[in-house]
Amino acid sequence: MMRRIGKLCFMICVSCAIAVGQDLKAPDHAVAGAALKLETSGSGDATLYLLGPGSAIKRSVKLGEPVELKPEEVSGSGVYTAVLKSGGANVTRTFYVAPAAPSNLVFLARPSRVAVGQKDALSGVIFLFDANKNLSFAPADIHFELAVSGAAAAARSVAAHNGIAWTRFDSARREGAAQFVASLGETSVRRVVQLTASEPCNLRFRTAPAKDHNVVVETDPVRDCAGNPVPDGTIVTFIENDGKTRSTIDARIKRGVARAELPATPNATISAASGVVLGNEIRLGGGR
Amino acid sequence: MKRIVMMITIVLAILVAGVALKASPTDDKQPPTAIALPSLPSNSSVKVEFDGSPATPRAVEDTTERAIVRDYSNAWSVMASALENNRADNIAAGFTGNAQERLAGRVREQQRAGLRTRYVDHGHKLQAVFYSPEGSAMQLHDTAKLEEQILDGDAVVSSRDITASYVVLMTVGEDRWKVRLLQELPSK
Repeated sequence: MMRRIGKLCFMICVSCAIAVGQDLKAPDHAVAGAALKLETSGSGDATLYLLGPGSAIKRSVKLGEPVELKPEEVSGSGVYTAVLKSGGANVTRTFYVAPAAPSNLVFLARPSRVAVGQKDALSGVIFLFDANKNLSFAPADIHFELAVSGAAAAARSVAAHNGIAWTRFDSARREGAAQFVASLGETSVRRVVQLTASEPCNLRFRTAPAKDHNVVVETDPVRDCAGNPVPDGTIVTFIENDGKTRSTIDARIKRGVARAELPATPNATISAASGVVLGNEIRLGGGR
Repeated sequence: MKRIVMMITIVLAILVAGVALKASPTDDKQPPTAIALPSLPSNSSVKVEFDGSPATPRAVEDTTERAIVRDYSNAWSVMASALENNRADNIAAGFTGNAQERLAGRVREQQRAGLRTRYVDHGHKLQAVFYSPEGSAMQLHDTAKLEEQILDGDAVVSSRDITASYVVLMTVGEDRWKVRLLQELPSK
């Protein structure tokens, strides 16, 4: 009986010695994509399990020797769990791998097409990533610039917070393809935003006689209030009203002007409108 | 008399069954309606508490809040299932971009090493901190209470109760929000 108790005590002591003997030490500061070493203590063989973002490793190691992890094995930023198993004893340690400095910019520029002269119409959001696609939290000033040919560029710098920087711009007053650029040091990302003319301004039209007792109505070149030609395809509505009947024609702008034919009803009034904008009025067979 | 009643009952039953079959959604002639669209899975058991009040520059709409809770919860169910069963075939249901690649890579390496990870999920406190002006991307902070088990085959090599912090990026996908980045932060 005493012999058995003695054996049991001996085995417990040996197990404790093994458990106390083996240990694992992770680095205090690790960066994603950089090789690192895990220090082990004790002696003999052990199995290392390492699980982290995007990686799962099982490896035989020699206790007392450092375990080297390649850059690609710790490319993901996050918390890694390392388990060292030797005999019946396991040691579990966790360590944090921080993201590296930002080197990639992901740029969301919205919308891709917008009317000129709109307040806060454009937004740009930058997400800062390191070389291994980890969101990077390092301090960074992002330079945003919005430029359209023939007009002064708008620019500002924004400090990133939690890996994100964002801004808003008014759309420029001149139509065209605006270059929306975000940059950090030498790295820059460009998006093209199409600025289109706004609502028509000073919509004017004139009349001319046509065949079959009709009259041709044709607008002057249709422009917005900043002088940008309104895009072809925009609808201009001509309305003829003689007090008894009312005729309406929707005409699309083609090459800058809208044109239609209406019946030449004596003393009828013709007006034009596009969207919420009203044009001039002409009375047929009489003065304007 | 009894026979007549039985006959009438049988005829009525046949008529009702006929009408029901004609109105059933398996009828090819029925035009597709909004009701016929596939409904999103909302059967995740993962509990998510959401706080959208810190979000800037855009306020989180009620419908978006509900969608985020549903889809983030679903993403954790998808991840837990993928890591426990070492199957990557359903990852795209909750993840996209880098998060999808990372998770698929982890499953692949677990398969190779004969390892599995089991999560017992005790809930998430999710806080929206950034909601992009045009409403297509959101950054969130998650505090999750989990039990994490690492298994070599069927043997548990590590089991821990953890409170983990994550920074999350979610973006609008084709019909739902998906996790684009899930990056764990050091414990405080």
